[in-house]
Amino acid sequence: MPLLRPSRLTRLQRWQRTQASFWRQMAQRPLSLIGTLIVLGFIFLAIFGPMLAPYRYDEFIRDEENRRLTRVAPSWEHPFGIDKDSRDVFSRVIWGARGIITLPGAATALSVALGTMLGLALGYYGGLFDEIISRALDSLLSIPALVLALVALGILGPSPLTIILVVVLLYTPIVARVIRSATLNLRASGYVEAARLRGESGIYILFSEILPGVLPALIVEAALRFSYAIFLVASLGFLGLGVQPPSPDWGKMVEEASGEYANAPWALYFPAAAIALLVISVNLMADGLRRIFRHEGSLP
Amino acid sequence: MYLNEAHLNGRSGISRLMFTTAILLILFALSATGVTAQADAVLRVGLNEPQNLDPATGSNDPEILFNRTIYDYLIEINPDNSIVPALATEWEIADDGLTYTFALAEGATFHDGSPFTSADVVYTFNRLVELGSPALGLLGEFEISAPDEATVVFTLAQPNADFLYGVGNRHALILRDGTEEVNVVGDDYASFNGTGAFILTDYSPGESATFEANANYWGGAPALAGIEFIFFPDSQAQIDALLDGAVDFIFKLDVDQISALEGQDGITVLERATNQHPVIRIRSDEGALGEDSRVRQAFKLATNRPELLDIVQQGYGVLGNNDPIGPSYADFFTDVEGDDVHDPAAACALILEATGEERISSDFYVVDAFNYESLAVSLQQQWAEGCIDVNILLRPEGEYYASNEWLEVDLGITGWGDRPVPQGYLIEAYITGGIYNETHFSDAELDELVAQAAVTTDVAERAAIYAQIGAIFADRGPIIIPWFASVLGAANSSFEGLELHPFPGQTDFRTVSFAG
Repeated sequence: MPLLRPSRLTRLQRWQRTQASFWRQMAQRPLSLIGTLIVLGFIFLAIFGPMLAPYRYDEFIRDEENRRLTRVAPSWEHPFGIDKDSRDVFSRVIWGARGIITLPGAATALSVALGTMLGLALGYYGGLFDEIISRALDSLLSIPALVLALVALGILGPSPLTIILVVVLLYTPIVARVIRSATLNLRASGYVEAARLRGESGIYILFSEILPGVLPALIVEAALRFSYAIFLVASLGFLGLGVQPPSPDWGKMVEEASGEYANAPWALYFPAAAIALLVISVNLMADGLRRIFRHEGSLP
Repeated sequence: MYLNEAHLNGRSGISRLMFTTAILLILFALSATGVTAQADAVLRVGLNEPQNLDPATGSNDPEILFNRTIYDYLIEINPDNSIVPALATEWEIADDGLTYTFALAEGATFHDGSPFTSADVVYTFNRLVELGSPALGLLGEFEISAPDEATVVFTLAQPNADFLYGVGNRHALILRDGTEEVNVVGDDYASFNGTGAFILTDYSPGESATFEANANYWGGAPALAGIEFIFFPDSQAQIDALLDGAVDFIFKLDVDQISALEGQDGITVLERATNQHPVIRIRSDEGALGEDSRVRQAFKLATNRPELLDIVQQGYGVLGNNDPIGPSYADFFTDVEGDDVHDPAAACALILEATGEERISSDFYVVDAFNYESLAVSLQQQWAEGCIDVNILLRPEGEYYASNEWLEVDLGITGWGDRPVPQGYLIEAYITGGIYNETHFSDAELDELVAQAAVTTDVAERAAIYAQIGAIFADRGPIIIPWFASVLGAANSSFEGLELHPFPGQTDFRTVSFAG
């Protein structure tokens, strides 16, 4: 036991040092820092939003005489106003954060996991296997994202699960390509060669030797994919695919309010602004990550 | 003086700011001057482009409006659903209800100068039969003959109480006898040969159609000098064009769009009550959600119709009931007492009594049209108070109808357009085996009454039958009608005499004048 203690402390200290270094470097890039904080804020809303929102997403706002209020402009009581269906837009935007974070988040995580495994294998083993799979992935990438999404949703029927499947189908090849090229750079490095000479298995070399090396590229790619996935999911919501009323999906909210912009523009502006803010923030965060890793020499 | 780079960059930001402000003020002043009409008496109509120009088969509003401008009917259905003479000045119905004799107007001529005679009427109606026109739904089976140039006689296979509505239906525009090519755009516009008040002088596909007033019109020359149809692909573009003064009249607007036009300077909002309505329908055959009439009644009790009309429809319409015989059928509409009671507690009690469960739940299919999504969202909350939980499934309009899903689901909302007579709805959707009986409702008493109404020509007797039908719907019917919608349009206030028709394509421009 006493022998283990210093090692454990060292690991903790190393982690703390990495954290401190990360935030210090983020602080030198104020825009990226703001972006990251906003993303964290949205994640907080996704977790605790339903507890914080003043109303339920489908609750009708009524006056003292129990009459439904509609198209009420923003006020202190309803900071984002009330929509045509008597609902508090502020509460709906807060409730909607969960869907717009979790659905693209889960889909991105899955794409990144699959793409990483595929990219590592393609880059490390190479040869005919790499040629065939890479060309197949390239052909998938040549189809415009929204077209592929519409076809897939048309065939499989719109549901959250299908949307995840569509995002995975779209983004796995992209992640795989990025990781493959990073792996190609590392394949010939000395420590990989050493592991091979030690007689380590392919799986060990991929996940213990190469993966840590491609991790910076992977994190940046994951953040970028996340922002694209948010936009794609919001677009599908706007097109009315995958979500049903009275869902507080931001894309759907924009669609519902788009015919109403002359009467209740606030119902359009706030969910649209929320989508824009989240996507821009994730991009700023990704940009910050990229710069930090490049500064540390982990990225080309 | 001209603005060079030195001016823009060197003379500080203040002059640039003033320049920009001045431009913005000018633009604002221009936009604030309101809608302006052109000086002459040409009415510019903004609408979708008609696709099928044949009067016998072209069905939608722009198609009918286009043809109605050039051609005339034998008799006309007024916006209030009354029947008035047109190319037929009077008519007689034989006692057995099988023979209709029409006397024709004298002195009417086609645009090419040829006189209008009974041969033209015979040709037109036979052509409707030949082409299988939708007009046959109301006309039924008939034969037509012309004893002389000024008389036509229709002989029916069986009595048809709605036959006159068939004669005046929107497809029955009178064509010149023997016309082989009807409404074909060629080197000239000779094939657009009607007796109507306006003559087509130009047609540019995708852009516009131009008509000039027919100075020799048999009913007296119209007040307008001409009409121009300007084609727009969507209604928002039409609204923008009206606000910019580029068109003078638009129609078929959504309630959400019309409320943005209310109160605008120089714009008159036009509204006409119709029988167009959403049907909230509960499938009622064996094993279906509404098999037990108590469940169907629970849905009715849980529905707060005045709130739906007030909030979702923004008041543009008439409160609905439980049957499709709406207030626009002035002779036949009866307000069944207790038809629209809202009592969620009573709904819960009925649910418990009928099913033994505290609450019931169902998928709720909603066609994605008009404001039906908002209607569904409101119903979901109202019904929840009445112990009914629904899961809304919005369906694209084309897919929902084309796949016949609408005829199969347990619970849904369907849109039903305006019909000139109530019989159409009853025969299509509510009698046993009706072609569009989406609720699978089957009631022997109702079937019998609908058959009786079809052959009862006496209005009072028919009204009594429809009252009994209304009572059946209130007692055990499978539908809830939240409202009968108004058709909505808007016009430049400089024009007078514009009256929207319940079927907007039948709007009459002969009475319109430019007041300046």
